[in-house]
Amino acid sequence: MRASAVAGIIFANSYDELLEKLTSKRSMASVPFGGRYRLIDFSLSNLVNAGITNVGVITKENYRSLMDHIGSGIYWDLDRKSGGLRILPPYNIRGAKRYNGYIEAIKGAMDFINRCNCEYMIISESEVVANVNIAEAVNHHIETHADVTVVYHNGRFPENHPDTMLLSFADDGRVNSIEFPTKQINGNANYSLGIMVISRRLLVELIEDAYNSESLGINRDILAPKVSKLRIYGFCHKGFAEVIDSEKTYFEANRMLLDDNVRHDFFNKERPIFTKTRDDMPTRYGTKSNVENSLIADGCIIDGTVKNSILFRGVKVEKGAVIENSILMQGVSVAENAQLDYVISDKDASIGADMILKGTSKKTFLVKKNQTL
Amino acid sequence: MVKKRCVAMLLAGGQGSRLGVLTGKIAKPAVPYGGKYRIIDFPLSNCINSGIDTVGILTQYKPLELNDYVGSGKPWDLDRQNGGVHILPPYQGQKGGDWYKGTANAIYQNLEFISRYDPQYVLILSGDHIYKMDYSKMISEHISNNAACTIAVLEVEPEEASRFGIMNTNPDGSIYEFEEKPKNPKSNLASMGIYVFSWDKLKKYLTEDENNVNSSNDFGKDIIPAMLNAKEKLMVYRFADYWKDVGTVDSLWEANLDLLNPKINLNLSDEAWRIYSRTNSLPPQYISKTSAVENSLVTDGCEVYGKLDYSILFENVTVEEGASVEYSLVMPGAVIKKGASVKYSIIAENVIVGEDAKIGEDPQATESDWGITVIGDGINIGKNAVIGAKNMITNDVLEGVKI
Repeated sequence: MRASAVAGIIFANSYDELLEKLTSKRSMASVPFGGRYRLIDFSLSNLVNAGITNVGVITKENYRSLMDHIGSGIYWDLDRKSGGLRILPPYNIRGAKRYNGYIEAIKGAMDFINRCNCEYMIISESEVVANVNIAEAVNHHIETHADVTVVYHNGRFPENHPDTMLLSFADDGRVNSIEFPTKQINGNANYSLGIMVISRRLLVELIEDAYNSESLGINRDILAPKVSKLRIYGFCHKGFAEVIDSEKTYFEANRMLLDDNVRHDFFNKERPIFTKTRDDMPTRYGTKSNVENSLIADGCIIDGTVKNSILFRGVKVEKGAVIENSILMQGVSVAENAQLDYVISDKDASIGADMILKGTSKKTFLVKKNQTL
Repeated sequence: MVKKRCVAMLLAGGQGSRLGVLTGKIAKPAVPYGGKYRIIDFPLSNCINSGIDTVGILTQYKPLELNDYVGSGKPWDLDRQNGGVHILPPYQGQKGGDWYKGTANAIYQNLEFISRYDPQYVLILSGDHIYKMDYSKMISEHISNNAACTIAVLEVEPEEASRFGIMNTNPDGSIYEFEEKPKNPKSNLASMGIYVFSWDKLKKYLTEDENNVNSSNDFGKDIIPAMLNAKEKLMVYRFADYWKDVGTVDSLWEANLDLLNPKINLNLSDEAWRIYSRTNSLPPQYISKTSAVENSLVTDGCEVYGKLDYSILFENVTVEEGASVEYSLVMPGAVIKKGASVKYSIIAENVIVGEDAKIGEDPQATESDWGITVIGDGINIGKNAVIGAKNMITNDVLEGVKI
């Protein structure tokens, strides 16, 4: 399979409202995750690790931080003469309003799609944390002669997500039912991961039809109604996967990386996760530092206690400060003797000496970007 | 080519034989430093921070890793349409070619490269030192002194002066004599191996030196004395910040641990003078519940389950449960297995230290012949093996063996 036969599309503003507080000044795609990443790093790396060098990122609003992060695409080797990374900002196609659903968004990106000169397309959402073998998914798509291949996972159904598909399969692996459950599901279920493989020709055809009938979403308005007409197959992603559908799942998904097995599976050598690199010094641990079960990026200075937490680049923890069960984003500083438990702090916040911030496992305490407490 | 005011030439061809096994496979400037740097990051970052965007790197010994590392120069913003970084190995011309015979000959063979930019000044650097320096200040002094050559010097302790090339100067800072490692030094101004030449003078003296069959073609031994003989104006430029030659195992170890010393001013992520490096996309470091980490630097891709004190872990190092690393450097990809102990050592890239092995010793624990222990690139140290102080290990060590 020629890698240039496949191109990718990523939705940057996918379901921003699910993480309202963290997306007030950024898109879902640029939400920080896992100590040094942004959510888009996972979809971009998935595509790049499959040899795909032609990627369009569809944006809608709040995309400045995303542009800062991905730049020319060099960190993913996507700064190319031919193909490479294209940012696709809203394109007016129907009056002055921006798009309301994925169908309109793809319609707006039709120029990019038509110029791709590829046979297959990967459509990818940003609210999914998974290291998926896309090359295998494409092979599976070809072998099964599928019209659409939906990447799915078997696990806890993301009940807060409005458009995740609950899938059932026939014996030959073809999807024979797509549901959008409204009630809680007990136990594990097969659900879609916001990644699909489709031929470019069929995508164009389906989008044009759906757009003309004023449909909005791909899952609800194209795939579900056509489940018996289209050959829809599933490709099971067996590794770690989380659909970020709330602040709570965001917090839990981050903390799952503290598990050795999850971390080693997710950050494997065959399919590395690429991200923008900075020139930070290594992290410095002082004489009074006491760190347990934590994931820590470069450029931190730690003189206090850090347990069961995730620290992004350049976090400072002064002596006597105690940080437990927390996620501190880039540039956060915690002064002497402050105590944090179940806190998510957005970038560049300062937490003053002796402050006590306590959330719970059910409801984390959120500190806003640049906030001083 | 667009004319450049100053071109830098970085001498990176030396073998660095005193680093022994650490430069067995790589040139000295490519030796890892400080957790995520290579020695060459210092002159390259200093260049770009000083506004010099045209750098020739003269390579000769084991250039593969260094070439890969420098690449297009992107990490230092030295990937340019005009100027930028250029790797300059020895080459064959119509009349044959030669290896670089000495530091001066290496520049001589690349006069054509410098000429393309028609500079006014040429900065000669080496890839052996850890320091942050604003070369533009030195060039300004060179210009205001109207000198033919300006040499950066550092005041060293008088008792150490006999280890260096010493500049003997007049009160106005002009040099009247250069002495290489003098037995009875007359001054304590040591050459840092950093020269600014006016381009016309450099061209003249390099060409004359090349025609002199008796010359060893070295800047310190030949070019500087020849210019002094000809009564050219040679000036010193005094530098007073941190500077360390990392030419020996001990000095490399010390220069690394200096990063952990709060009394030493060597902040590499200072926004005003950042040291850049080529970094990989690796996961953040993981520090486990069973660990104890103090006074150490740890970087991306590391996993620490054991004890760390006064040590530096480079990328992708694993320290397993019950293992301890003290006063040591552990270079990229090395694994310290369960129960192993590493003290006062340099563990090179991709070494595996087996379970319960003991590497290195406390200075107090041994008699006269104490020193840093070095384990070479890719070596396997077997379970329960014991490697004493000051050893340099170049072959795998089997289980239980004592050295």
